[in-house]
Amino acid sequence: MQYFDINMGLSREDILIRDTAREFAQKVMRPISRELDTMSAEAAVADGSPFWDFLAKAYELDFHTILLPEYYGGQGLSPLQVHLVFEEFGWASFGLAVQLAVVCFPFYLACMTGDEDLIDLFVKPFCQCRDGSIRGCWGITEPDHGSDVIAVGEDYFGSDKMRGNVQARPEGDEWVIDGQKSAWVSGGTIATHTLLHCQIDATKGFAGNGICIMPLDIKGVCKGKPLEKIGQRDLNQGEIYFSGARIPKSWMMCDPEFYVPFLDMILASANLCMASWSTGLARAAFEEALTYSKQRVQGGRPLAKHYAMKQRLFDLFARTESARAISRAAINLNLNLSPPHVEYSLWAKTQCTELAFRNTHDAIQIWGGNGLTKEYVLEKLFRDARATLIEDGNNETLARHGGHIIGETYPRKALDF
Amino acid sequence: MPVFANSAVMEAMFGEVWKKMVHETDFGPRLKENNITLQFIIEDPDVVMYVDENGPVFGDQAKAQTPVVTLKMSGDSVHQFWLNRLNVPKALALRQIKAKGPVGKVLQILPLLKPGKALYPDYCTRYGLPTT
Repeated sequence: MQYFDINMGLSREDILIRDTAREFAQKVMRPISRELDTMSAEAAVADGSPFWDFLAKAYELDFHTILLPEYYGGQGLSPLQVHLVFEEFGWASFGLAVQLAVVCFPFYLACMTGDEDLIDLFVKPFCQCRDGSIRGCWGITEPDHGSDVIAVGEDYFGSDKMRGNVQARPEGDEWVIDGQKSAWVSGGTIATHTLLHCQIDATKGFAGNGICIMPLDIKGVCKGKPLEKIGQRDLNQGEIYFSGARIPKSWMMCDPEFYVPFLDMILASANLCMASWSTGLARAAFEEALTYSKQRVQGGRPLAKHYAMKQRLFDLFARTESARAISRAAINLNLNLSPPHVEYSLWAKTQCTELAFRNTHDAIQIWGGNGLTKEYVLEKLFRDARATLIEDGNNETLARHGGHIIGETYPRKALDF
Repeated sequence: MPVFANSAVMEAMFGEVWKKMVHETDFGPRLKENNITLQFIIEDPDVVMYVDENGPVFGDQAKAQTPVVTLKMSGDSVHQFWLNRLNVPKALALRQIKAKGPVGKVLQILPLLKPGKALYPDYCTRYGLPTT
């Protein structure tokens, strides 16, 4: 379904990019995501799964390089264009939208270094990849820590009692990596590379972490089984294990000297993605409710003609527009500012995921029993939306972090340049 | 003590560096091809410079421009940046560099400036700036 865009300034290029993404979302992502949703997590990524058709088509259309600069072969989209595309992807499938973004995470971070060796070795081949054979993942989440790893504002974050599940120790010209990432690593069991958060200096707790880029076909790396879960079943997630895995020292892109503020920069970007996809998810629920309420007749008239339903439909519309307004404002700020103002990304993620969840919940209420059946997409949207309240930092943890930033830095001054 | 003694030294030196980059390397055409214009806002010494495919301007002329990307940093950070001794992610995280403009364009600046970084040490020698 088309939506009216209250931004009257979209360029022809913006519209073309949005429409290309929409066509892919409708014709490829949505049908495949529904198919994957019914499969076991293992079958969903087995040979012959439609997942691989999705990935190959996405790479063929260059959707894996949306966040990467043109100079290296990326699409170099503007912040608004990123939002337009991500909203369509979130409409189609939150899980596959996440999958398609995490594939670029290690390479996106490598771009920031400007290190030509890393760019030649990792970034350029990824940008040139057209068959989905090079896939990144974000190796941050740990089995014993959950939200600890992003609780930057808490006193325990930098405590020596916070022993990470993945340790890195220097040995000659190399880092040696041991430990385990949790089952929640998105793309974890199918990734060829990871952006790995690992503890370098345990005396500083998680403030003693570093971040490296690592191919996962090296000795000492193995993967767990794909995770079964209630929502975003089309998103592959699973553990990665490290046992004496060795990488050159130059692949450690961030060390404890700047880990904490750098983590905030990464978190700010990830949260902007979550907010944009949530806008699409909120819209998908609204559209389902709108269509059904015009077709379904109760009490001799379509649902949409009932007094209470009109109010419900408006709430769904309002939440969708709010999510779009919030996520676009945040993406326009923080994809135009380095370092970003993190609290605005946290605002967008926490608000937009809540708005999307409420929309899927209310849409089911409008659909009644039909909304609960596997026959229709709505129950999947609801399960997917539930996961977003926890994903990439549960909303309570993110709100606490936002409050910490506000307490420490506000009133925020106007930009001085 | 700051590396650049004053604004005049920095403007003179970067005037030469930018002109050579724009007119004698692929920097100028690449700026145009990538639709990038750059503004550097420097503190200590206070200098504003703007560069596009036509070359650099400084001071009020630079301030009057609307760049695609603006970078703000100290004179010493500029020097380290051009000597390729600044860890850019670290400098951004620690706010030694602040950037305004689409992140995708900001990420392109590093490779675009490569010809200038190759030229820079020679100009340091000419202007008596340390390269070690």
